Amino acid sequence: MKINVMTDILEANDRIAADNSKVFDKHRNLVLNLMSSPGAGKTTLLEKTGEALKGKLRLGVIAGDIETTRDAERLQKYKLPVVQLTTGSACHLDANMITYALPHIDLKKIDILVIENVGNLVCPAEFKLGEDYKIMMLSVTEGDEKPLKYPLMFRESSLLLINKIDLLKYTNFNLKEAKANARRVNPDMDIIDISCTTGEGIPDWISWLNQRYQNKFGTKARA
Amino acid sequence: MAIARNIVNIAIAAAEKEDAKRITKVNVVAGELRGFIPAQLIFCFGLMAENTIASGAYLDLEITPVMGKCKKCEETFMVKDYRYVCPKCQGEDIQTVSGTELRVKDIEVE
Repeated sequence: MKINVMTDILEANDRIAADNSKVFDKHRNLVLNLMSSPGAGKTTLLEKTGEALKGKLRLGVIAGDIETTRDAERLQKYKLPVVQLTTGSACHLDANMITYALPHIDLKKIDILVIENVGNLVCPAEFKLGEDYKIMMLSVTEGDEKPLKYPLMFRESSLLLINKIDLLKYTNFNLKEAKANARRVNPDMDIIDISCTTGEGIPDWISWLNQRYQNKFGTKARA
Repeated sequence: MAIARNIVNIAIAAAEKEDAKRITKVNVVAGELRGFIPAQLIFCFGLMAENTIASGAYLDLEITPVMGKCKKCEETFMVKDYRYVCPKCQGEDIQTVSGTELRVKDIEVE
């Protein structure tokens, strides 16, 4: 006997993500789901971002890692509100894990909440968490063909940060090719070149954040 | 792995509703953009199905191609190699109409 099902495999997750999103909107949080492969520079970016936003917009972080709380410890040095989620063996965060993290972070004291996903270019793209935007980070040591190898993640992201551009001269990474590949998969994607080491491009990233915050809430900062 | 678990859970829920004793086949539709490696998903599905009424069930994966629709001339076409360009008017404002789906279509039970 055949039974018709027609159920979306990620429906349950999407429903929880929508609930998370309501909580974030209520607290006036702009929420970003930051994804990359391991070692691309997500945590360093957050350190730089926290510094650059100081006195303007308040940054908070939910950091996902398979094991250890090292990322959270690094960020706590900057006095940022951080919750660390260790996923055990799971290679991505899902909406439910975010729901569990929410009571541990004071959303009222945050303007921009970055959810630092587990370093992985495949699975994180499948699971909505309740974010406003997905952001993808690619470092020049990884190779310029990545957008074509992992299309879903690039397709789903609103912004691509190309990190470690200070190392360009030591690699065979072709910046033009990488951007063309990314645009092929996602023509609407914004792309910003950055170096967390030299600080190049960080002001562009900060103004991207400001712009998105204003788009969502209409004001530069919360009264 | 989480996706394989969801597939098994959805199939079991649907089978139990019909009082079925055993699931023999699960048909899943997955868009090409999802980038699944079928062998990997089938392997994980087998593990997740162990000791359930879906144990030993065959997982059939139907991979749907990426289809785009040009917002300018409304031409619908197959997007090959992630080239989001309309073959008719060369427009670049393309809406993805298929290729991202991921659902359990139907199951076969005894």
